[in-house]
Amino acid sequence: MHDQPDTVAAVDSEALQRQALADVGAAATLAALDEARVKYLGRKSALKLALRDVRDRESGMALNAARQAIEQAVEAKQAELERGELDAKLSSEQVDVTLPAQLLGPLRPRRRGSLHPSTQVRRDVEDIFLGLGYEVVDGREVETTRYNFDALGFPEWHPTRSRRDSLYLTKDTLLRTETSPAQIHKMESHRPPIYMVSIGRVYRRDTIDATHFPIFHQFEGLAVDKRITMADLKGTLLYVMRQLYGPEREVRFRTHYFPFTEPSMEPDVSCPICGGAGCATCKHSGWIEMGGSGMVDPYLYEFVGWDPDEYSGFAFGMGIERTAQLRHGIPGIRPFWENDLRFLRQF
Amino acid sequence: MKVPLSWLREYVRTDATAEQIAHALSISTAEVNGVERRGVPGDLSFFRVGHVLEAEKHPNADRLQLTKVDVGEGKPYQIVCGAWNFGAGAKVAVALPGATLPNGLTLERRKLRGEVSEGMILAEDEVDLGTDHTGIMVLDAALEPGTPLADVLPLVEEVLDVEPTGNRPDLLAVYGLAREVAALFEGELVPLDPSEPPRGGDEPVDVQVEDLGGCPRYVGRLFRDIAIAESPVWLRARLRAAGVRSISNVVDVTNYVMLALGSPLHVFDFDTLHGGRVLVRRARPGEELRTLDGTLRKLDPADLLIADADRPVALAGIMGGEETEISEKTTSVLLEAANFEPVGILRSSERHTLRTEGSNRWEKGVDPHVAGPAATLATRLIAELAGARWTGHTDVQGTLPEPAVIELRPERADAVIGLEVPAAEQAAILDRLGFAHENGGFRVPTWRARDVTREIDLIEEVARFKMDEIPFTLPERDATFGRLTRWQRLRRVAEEVLVGCGYFEAYTSSFVADGDLLLPEPMSHEAAALRTALLFSLVGAARHNLSVGTAEVALFEIARTYRAGGELPDERWHVAGIVDGGFADAKWAVEQLYGALKIVPAYERSDDPFLHPGKSARTAEGWVGELHPSLLEGVWGAFELDLDALVATSPEALEFEEVSAYPEVRQDLAFVVGDDVPAAALAAAMREAGGPELRDVAVFDEYRGEQIGAGKRSLAFRVAFGSRERTLTDEEANALRARIVAALAERFGAELRA
Repeated sequence: MHDQPDTVAAVDSEALQRQALADVGAAATLAALDEARVKYLGRKSALKLALRDVRDRESGMALNAARQAIEQAVEAKQAELERGELDAKLSSEQVDVTLPAQLLGPLRPRRRGSLHPSTQVRRDVEDIFLGLGYEVVDGREVETTRYNFDALGFPEWHPTRSRRDSLYLTKDTLLRTETSPAQIHKMESHRPPIYMVSIGRVYRRDTIDATHFPIFHQFEGLAVDKRITMADLKGTLLYVMRQLYGPEREVRFRTHYFPFTEPSMEPDVSCPICGGAGCATCKHSGWIEMGGSGMVDPYLYEFVGWDPDEYSGFAFGMGIERTAQLRHGIPGIRPFWENDLRFLRQF
Repeated sequence: MKVPLSWLREYVRTDATAEQIAHALSISTAEVNGVERRGVPGDLSFFRVGHVLEAEKHPNADRLQLTKVDVGEGKPYQIVCGAWNFGAGAKVAVALPGATLPNGLTLERRKLRGEVSEGMILAEDEVDLGTDHTGIMVLDAALEPGTPLADVLPLVEEVLDVEPTGNRPDLLAVYGLAREVAALFEGELVPLDPSEPPRGGDEPVDVQVEDLGGCPRYVGRLFRDIAIAESPVWLRARLRAAGVRSISNVVDVTNYVMLALGSPLHVFDFDTLHGGRVLVRRARPGEELRTLDGTLRKLDPADLLIADADRPVALAGIMGGEETEISEKTTSVLLEAANFEPVGILRSSERHTLRTEGSNRWEKGVDPHVAGPAATLATRLIAELAGARWTGHTDVQGTLPEPAVIELRPERADAVIGLEVPAAEQAAILDRLGFAHENGGFRVPTWRARDVTREIDLIEEVARFKMDEIPFTLPERDATFGRLTRWQRLRRVAEEVLVGCGYFEAYTSSFVADGDLLLPEPMSHEAAALRTALLFSLVGAARHNLSVGTAEVALFEIARTYRAGGELPDERWHVAGIVDGGFADAKWAVEQLYGALKIVPAYERSDDPFLHPGKSARTAEGWVGELHPSLLEGVWGAFELDLDALVATSPEALEFEEVSAYPEVRQDLAFVVGDDVPAAALAAAMREAGGPELRDVAVFDEYRGEQIGAGKRSLAFRVAFGSRERTLTDEEANALRARIVAALAERFGAELRA
């Protein structure tokens, strides 16, 4: 206990608070709680009177602290009791939960709903690749840095490894930044031939704005077999792009760089909005960038213990939302996550 | 990187147009975001070199000059001009009537304060060569009047906006891009001029490198008698077109050389270097440096520094220090043409959140061999533009890596590319890119040493030059996998069922404010954890729709939830829904879902705090109920089921059961029971009592009322009796019924209503 100052308050605030909290805690009904409130916080309560008369700062602060503590306790207790009374009332409205729905109340007839545009694209992508004889895989979302980066040949300095670009859970685990780890898992557990497309959520540390959201969906294809060539990659993507955007689309490839492919290329598709004549969507180039692609870097075969001279393969990755945006002319990314029915009902 | 085409063409001879170059680079080298046309938009013939014959004050205006200018046409032009930084005899840049300026203005012959003015004497900003408008451009006195101005000044410039990938720092240089253009168009790459200007003295340059790992090379050169001044218009125009601000002749030279060759340079005011020396070392604890941007930076012991005898003077490769900066008074300069190790620069740059044109190059790995040519070019320009005497030179080097020789099997290249490229052509492409064919392999040029280390990297070099020629084929297959997994098929079933029930599919964030797995560095309070349930995200989506006044809200989502597991979290797929209705609406959807998956669930009362305590149920896979009213305004139904568990429970195979050939006897039975006896318990007891001849039982009515009595209710069931072997007799059916009635009476005190 600390020394008491000369001007002792008329009440012992600590004892008062103890008593008040005990009474508030014991109140079993709202009426009982109200009684306690009047007793300890009312105009004529000892506390209020003491507060009116207090002259020194230290006692004043102590009394005030007690008042705040009691007020908070009363508020919390009130919420608890109200919830209890509400629950008691709700419990009295018990129904037999084993009854079939139509006996539980009036069922409102509802018009058919719809799938989210991202799911519609996902299903299209699935169907296109099923037609090509690929399997559909969705791996896990929380991955180790070993599978998300090391296995894919991301150099130590690569910016995507940094905490500014990616969402880590621990030092060695993070939300996957691409669906490629699923491909490594597949390669570890299966010998070629492998023909797969992985589809799912991926995460980047992007601040939310009209065109960014920290989550998006990717589809990534992987083919590993004997005798796979860049020409096969070109032909496969041409087929996929025409299936997604129309039979008149053209595809071109530009050289690029990605850690896990060599050679790497970016595919462009002739703009589905203007047909290649030039418009705002394609920034008047006639072409739209679709994502990344390339031949599986031999490093990956070494990682999973295969002979890089025996097998070759290609991989590519694209965005589901971006595909839906292009298909429907949706300018931003926000509607994909806002779940506004005025948007969803259009699909 | 912005690349003025006139500059590029200084290094490569080709007839290719800007568009052709942009296209070829985009396909084979680096993305070109666009070609910007700067400067004079129209006919250049209206722009000439003029010789000022007379210049006097305008008779009617104190601030204007009235001039007579020879533009090579015999008869001089009378031009009114607002600048006074020239007089008779000067050679100037003239735009004649008819000329269109970059700002779109077309000049006309017109009167200014009563005097005819036939054109305009130009300041640099008027033709987009700079920002200066303090006076007109005074040109070289040796020029002939009437000379096309475009021969003297870059009146028109095409600028490529090139975006090289991170593995190609050699392309962050005009010369590097020229090398690619030369290779792509089989043009001539102009060799760099190796000539050094004459030395104007012989002073030692005191450079010590403590950390040759961080700084494998440091060329230091000393210059005396420097006259710091503005750069000439050609240099300022080039930097301006490249997007770099002009500062002073010496600083501009460093930027120019960096853009030209890709090796960043730095200059120190030599007289401010304590002890006249330079030491390259790591920072010591507690050291600070005020960098050129005015920021005082606490240095980390991992930061590589340039120091003088006493203190840090530059954050190596990133930014110089304020105290040793070049000023107007500078007369001696130490030029640094060094090389820095990439990862250290990247880490320092991240630590100090400071990225510069220099650090951007170093962090990608600059060729240490280019420091020499960079020093040479800078020396020539400093001597020429600042009248400097070059008095000292040193070149401190660690062991620079030997260029690797890599084997290339031409048939392997063909196999990867899917196109036959003759071995000779492969070698020719590589040769044009600087890969010398020797000893059965290719020697990697120093500027590609980091990027090209394996055969596949050489194959990429060949492939990118054949990109458009590679055909479109499909893989030759002898195996195929085209089928959804059972899980994926059943997910589609779940999606279809809920859409059919009137639900719209939502996509909500995986992040919530609180959960089992917290993010150590969350992006916001609302996204601090991974969710363990979908419901609360859907409540948010429903609330959004309420707030915009949408009625008839029914949303579902199929997504993952996350709980702490072993090394990696336990990720489970859930299916959840929310509907403005109530328990019945939500349960309807859940019943359809279970029905479609051929699962018969058992419903038990739930005590989940977020649900209405009287109107909510749990099943083995999740819950369904009315939302607790404290959660969302109005009456809402909701459900959330573990989709993985549903798929696991759903029977993999369905066995056919013969449809009975004998008719069934259908009866309605109503029982009065205590309120607390669930209908499902009665039905189960009926099945048990009825045995296999009770073919079907379903509750179809619930009734409460005075006739029944308080605390009780009547439940009506429709039952079907039948046998596979024969038609049941009335007696048999009655006996069955009696057994059921007796069983319910005994177990639940149920009374059959008449």
